[in-house]
Amino acid sequence: MHELFEHTADLGLRATAPDLDALFVEMAECLVSAMVEDPATVQPLEETRIELAGTDREFLLFDWLKELLSRFDTDRAVFASFEVQVSESGLTATVRGEPFDSERHTFAHEVKAITYHELKIVRDGDGWLAEVIVDI
Amino acid sequence: MAKEAFSGPLEHIGCCCHRIPTSYKPGMRVPGHIYANDKLMEAIRKDQAPDQVANVAMLPGIQVASIAMPDIHWGYGFCIGGVCATDPEEGGVISPGGVGYDINCGVRFIKTNLYLDDVKHHMRELVKALFHTVPSGAGRTGKYKYNAVDTRRLMAEGPRFVIDRGLGVARDLDHTEANGKIDDADPSQVSDHAVKRGAEQCGTLGSGNHFLEVQVVDSVFDADVAKAFGLELNQVCVMIHSGSRGLGYQVCDDALAAFRNCPAKYGFELPDRQLACAPADSPEGRKYIAAMRSAANYGFCNRQLLMHQAREVFAEVFGRSWEDLGMEQLYDVAHNIAKFEEHTVEGKKKKVWVHRKGATRAFPAGHPEVPDAFRAVGQPVIIPGDMGRASWILVGSQGAMDKTFGTTCHGAGRAMSRTAALKDGVGRRIDKELEHKGVIAMASSRNGLAEEQPKAYKNVDDVVEVVHEADLSRRVARMRPLGVIKG
Repeated sequence: MHELFEHTADLGLRATAPDLDALFVEMAECLVSAMVEDPATVQPLEETRIELAGTDREFLLFDWLKELLSRFDTDRAVFASFEVQVSESGLTATVRGEPFDSERHTFAHEVKAITYHELKIVRDGDGWLAEVIVDI
Repeated sequence: MAKEAFSGPLEHIGCCCHRIPTSYKPGMRVPGHIYANDKLMEAIRKDQAPDQVANVAMLPGIQVASIAMPDIHWGYGFCIGGVCATDPEEGGVISPGGVGYDINCGVRFIKTNLYLDDVKHHMRELVKALFHTVPSGAGRTGKYKYNAVDTRRLMAEGPRFVIDRGLGVARDLDHTEANGKIDDADPSQVSDHAVKRGAEQCGTLGSGNHFLEVQVVDSVFDADVAKAFGLELNQVCVMIHSGSRGLGYQVCDDALAAFRNCPAKYGFELPDRQLACAPADSPEGRKYIAAMRSAANYGFCNRQLLMHQAREVFAEVFGRSWEDLGMEQLYDVAHNIAKFEEHTVEGKKKKVWVHRKGATRAFPAGHPEVPDAFRAVGQPVIIPGDMGRASWILVGSQGAMDKTFGTTCHGAGRAMSRTAALKDGVGRRIDKELEHKGVIAMASSRNGLAEEQPKAYKNVDDVVEVVHEADLSRRVARMRPLGVIKG
């Protein structure tokens, strides 16, 4: 489950999931929903593999979202589906998407940056909760 | 969490200044000073921006106080509308969060010799032409494209680089903060990724709160200074608000990642990871400073190219050259930047790193960094408001040197979150509402207009009243918008 929440000048991403792999997928989907008005319009046409190293869970989440955002910044890539395996030393992921096409996709927000402000991953009952503020 | 009110102490210490004592939180090295009147204070207390002012007071080497302007609102880590000066001789830090993602986001103001009557029947045509010519909106690229080598040269030289290629005149530089070139910029310290992001974006507005506005002077408050600035009633002007685009963002991002281990390495603690910093005099600090200065020069260059395109559009629409239309730049000033400046601290002159995050330099008459043309009156200060009400030209004053490291406010300050403003705009035609008020607005996204609607901001007149009363700068002229283009 994921949702966007309000922040005075910016926007927050929040997700809950039973495990960390699912949490990272939810947060990625949440980021896409902040960027594209109807995420269902994005097709999983091109597949990319992403590997990131890092032992701090929160920094790893930050780096994960930043990686997805930077692929939009440089190649205009937006994503529709994610498979993620989080380990003690980092993550590996397979993501599928396509280049942003203004004929078929509508911008929701220009997410300019992922921030470290109040970045958190915490235990939530039996599962996990994550929050990230993005700069728009 | 965003709506939780601040319940900590705020002591009124005279002349629109409220103090958060160091006893509020363990770790505060200096008090917090918030400049506001009772009306604005009520709005400021509604969220945790004052708590962020207190957090900034914990930064190593901070001098005098963690200062906030009347337009403060909650940001990430640092509040927006904050000023923090650090002394490198006392282990003072440089903080990318204290500058902001959009390094050298700032404002440029251009005069014309046109009056309201000359333009009022051409506004729709003018705004349309500006909208079609000046690239705006998320991720947009422009007609000026530079390869990596030239992008780096542009960062070293600032607007001089494009002026040498016919996109402006040398006198534009005289009327730009730091003459458009912050010394000791070292573009080799800017990552390839940042350069790539900046290569095709110079001369584009971007999205969010950035804009290009055609305005008319509707009140003059200080006739002598207005005369020195060349401003008079009913005169038409252009205001440009933009920054260093994706390049500046990437420089900030790169530095935040590089600073992750600095607290442990240099032995300090931070209450929020977004306050990441490094001693100004450390390898990490020096690298960021060299890159930040390069991005700042890119920002000046971006506004130079935006101005050039606006001049071309005016020339086309009115059938006269921009020189004939008197389109001279009054000034260009940064409001997201850190500068190494000399200030008097407790009676002693010292050089400090002044971080201005959503705050504007406001040097008084006689200061050597004020251009010759204005040395007798003070530095022009440009304060954009919202697109329905007003914007201001102020002049720097001595009070700012005495109290706020030569700094004043930067705008109206948000009153509503973007999400709340969007919800508020559902089912409304903001462009029609603005038209009804006499403002022609065009934006590349409908959301852009809703997020930036006048109601989303505090009244800039209230903010200006405080900085005037507190002598952080003085009122010169007020402008109202006639036409605006946005991302």
